[in-house]
Amino acid sequence: MNQEDFFNIFRTGRNRMEQAVAAGLSEGGDWCDLYFEYTVYNDLLLKDGEVNDGGYNEDFGVGIRVLDGDRTGYAYSESTELKDMLAAAKAASSIACRTASGCKASVIQAGTVGRHRESCSGMNGVSTARDSLYATGKTWDNVQHAMFLPFLKRIDSSVRSKDGSIVRVMVHFADYQSYVMMFNSLGELVVDSRPMCSITVTAVFSRNGKTENSTASWSHRCGAEMLSPELAERLACDVVKGIDARFEARRPKGGEMPVVMGAGASGILLHEAMGHAFEADFNRKGQSIFSDRIGRRICRQGISIVDDGTIPGNRGAVNHDDEGVPGQKTYMVEDGILTSYLHDRISASFYGVSPTGNGRRESFRFNPIPRMRATYMEAGDACPEDIIGSVRHGIFVDEFSNGQVKIGEGDFTFYVKSGYLIENGRLTAPVKDINVIGNGPEALSRITAVGNDLKIDDGTWTCGKEQNVPVSVGIPTVLVSSLVVGGE
Amino acid sequence: MDNVMEFSGITNEEISAARHCLEYALSSGASKARVSVSKNVQDSIQLLNGEVDKVSRNADRVLSINLFADGRYGTYSTNRFSGKEVEVFISKAIERTKMLTPDKFRDLPSPDRYALGAVTGMELGLYDRTYEGISAEDRIAAALSGSIYGNAGPQAGYGIISEECEYSDSVDDCYMADSQGFEGRHTETSFSFWSEMTIYDSKGDRYTGYWWTSSPHRNRIDIGICSPTALEKAIAQTGASRHDGGRFTMVVDSRCSSRLAAPLLNALNGSAIQQKNSFLEGSLGQKIFPDELTIKDLALSRGMTGARLFDSEGVATADTDIIRQGRVEMYFANTYYAARLGIRPTVDGPSRPVVRPFIKDGLAKDLEYGENGINLQTILESARDGILVTGFNGGNYNRATGYFSYGVEGFAFRDGKITCPVKEMLITGDMLTLWKSVIAAGSDACEGSRWQIPALAFGNVDFAG
Repeated sequence: MNQEDFFNIFRTGRNRMEQAVAAGLSEGGDWCDLYFEYTVYNDLLLKDGEVNDGGYNEDFGVGIRVLDGDRTGYAYSESTELKDMLAAAKAASSIACRTASGCKASVIQAGTVGRHRESCSGMNGVSTARDSLYATGKTWDNVQHAMFLPFLKRIDSSVRSKDGSIVRVMVHFADYQSYVMMFNSLGELVVDSRPMCSITVTAVFSRNGKTENSTASWSHRCGAEMLSPELAERLACDVVKGIDARFEARRPKGGEMPVVMGAGASGILLHEAMGHAFEADFNRKGQSIFSDRIGRRICRQGISIVDDGTIPGNRGAVNHDDEGVPGQKTYMVEDGILTSYLHDRISASFYGVSPTGNGRRESFRFNPIPRMRATYMEAGDACPEDIIGSVRHGIFVDEFSNGQVKIGEGDFTFYVKSGYLIENGRLTAPVKDINVIGNGPEALSRITAVGNDLKIDDGTWTCGKEQNVPVSVGIPTVLVSSLVVGGE
Repeated sequence: MDNVMEFSGITNEEISAARHCLEYALSSGASKARVSVSKNVQDSIQLLNGEVDKVSRNADRVLSINLFADGRYGTYSTNRFSGKEVEVFISKAIERTKMLTPDKFRDLPSPDRYALGAVTGMELGLYDRTYEGISAEDRIAAALSGSIYGNAGPQAGYGIISEECEYSDSVDDCYMADSQGFEGRHTETSFSFWSEMTIYDSKGDRYTGYWWTSSPHRNRIDIGICSPTALEKAIAQTGASRHDGGRFTMVVDSRCSSRLAAPLLNALNGSAIQQKNSFLEGSLGQKIFPDELTIKDLALSRGMTGARLFDSEGVATADTDIIRQGRVEMYFANTYYAARLGIRPTVDGPSRPVVRPFIKDGLAKDLEYGENGINLQTILESARDGILVTGFNGGNYNRATGYFSYGVEGFAFRDGKITCPVKEMLITGDMLTLWKSVIAAGSDACEGSRWQIPALAFGNVDFAG
């Protein structure tokens, strides 16, 4: 798709966008950007063996942001007619007006504002996706969804064939196609067409009066060509995997002990406990436990933590972020040293660095803020079996869910969805429904081994910091020498 | 900002458009349909360290339609419903619905269950007319009035890193109609203010405190209390450490007790019951909780958050018992899930659940309290020793089994008095056993909360630290 296609979708053109930007800056702000979005969401739900529920939703509008130093004025319109855009721009412009009417001076020194708000599109004014990270055959709004019914039924029958104790199977299929056009007061124009497909399979099992449930999910920025019989089979296998252990699983005796985090999904701990504290808005406000630690060692040599928006097809991939900055790979921790926060344009300006492509938003209804993309720890050189073998008494965690962190204190808690006791270097009894609790910087400093088996999980991870955005997580097998484990 | 998108409610033209959608859907192949139009306007002013940091205005409208066609069912929505656009949208929706598998249980509610009195949307007194007179300057002034940054008094043993606060007001207007003749409207305003204070102590450790106020009525929010209370909360946590594990009486503050009430009420949802994903499956009509536990749904509480005359199907709400004297009185089963389960349909979920205050016999011998006079201190004194939970940090519960594990923070208390702050503690157990061990419920639920969950006390809870 080219620029004209996007002008047609949004029924606008460069001249009208320039007028809206001018209205946004009419009160004296130093930056204005427009974010046009048209998204079509589809979903299908299989329950009780039938795909008997579904629908779609379409959302259309333009968000207009005005920055005055590091202050934000934001408004949006569900119409892209010029008069409606001008009204929204005028509303957003009031942030500059507020300063003029007597608010205290900005903490940013005069002269630095806008210094780093230089061209970021890399395309000299107009940017379409270069080599798109999520090229698709047909966009999701142009496929016949009837073709997916056999796929969902295939998953259902495959799941049921694998375990006789299954009493319910639910398959939720969701996709969207989002057309995005961004224009800013530097005259930069960026367009992007973003696909997403997510499948979540839930099964409920009943054995001898006991009930257990299990969920498997898969999500990629891709087209329908990725939906294969192999994928259906993989999801079916994933949802029944480990169910015997879950029925047997017990809560272990709690206490402080070594915790081995399995490769892949347990990377959510990295996202919650460390990643959020690296987001520059928390640091700009001095609220993060990592504030003022740039350039300092925060964990052992050899450990690198990355936030990457450039993995093709990944749920967190972005050709451009939602401020028009190209997607990129950002090292937050390199060889144990804190090297960068995750920046949007505001925080980049504040810190005097270039934006890192982390300015993201849920939709045109929200202003962008620093958000993660695909966050992972790079692989080390330890063999996973050796890591487990080095632990005399501890737990191995397959998968966490529902983590939470207090950004200021760094304290985190994670629910262990599934795992095993480690006794004398071997995985023994399955454990479940427990929590691990700790402190982000402390936990980082207690990582004593990093496996050579980095795995990026492809589940339907969604980060909910103020707004929901798709992300992904990853980690190799990692040993944390000591964390508190809640148990009996 | 005042000259932009002033809220005028759902217009007659939009109501006509909704009715046209119904007619068009029926003439295009739908056998039944329900349509709703919702409009929302929200203004907010965010402060950072006493200065305006962000000003925003959100204005949304959306048209949603539930279609029943050839025994099939689908749900659709769009925010573009002017002119011919909506006809294209509905034609496509009907086509999509016909692609799905028939489901004989899908239907509109029986018309005799409809709410009849929701005509203007303002019958429940949830719309504050003073909203219409609020100017942009008023909003700024309201936000600034809540800031204490730079004016927080002497700072012994701590320093303030940041103060973030936000004033916001909003109005929601919803019109619903269906092909069986139901029409209903619900309109409400909301005013809120929150403050988050981050401080450092003498060791440089950071602590955050949070407080908020909200109400459908502008004169019922107490902006001035938020920042001082948030600061007080942050200061109270300084020096927090882990507490030895063990079994203790747990008192949960009313500001976070809904975290434990949500699994209980969610487990009564018809969808969870039908999908066998509820630890309360088979509990209808059973007495499984203590005699003292009564939870009502007071949907018709005039002027109070959560009140509503009809649910998402247009079904009339009522003041009802959810759990009465320990007995489960209802599942939240809409038309579909009731038919699936073969039970009497109720409503789609709780509107304004309220826990009846009590202190279980034997623990409060020497205390005197009047009806609805049980505050947190009363509960602490009746419980004597234990841990007061003032915040949850992560954790989860298993919907099917009810097993839970949560990170908690708060204070140890002895002889009814707070002794020290605790953090990095975990509680574990199962929801059924936990609620069987409830020993007290206060009368101190937050006024602005839809779920009126007060301070709660539970006996013999497993703590790890």
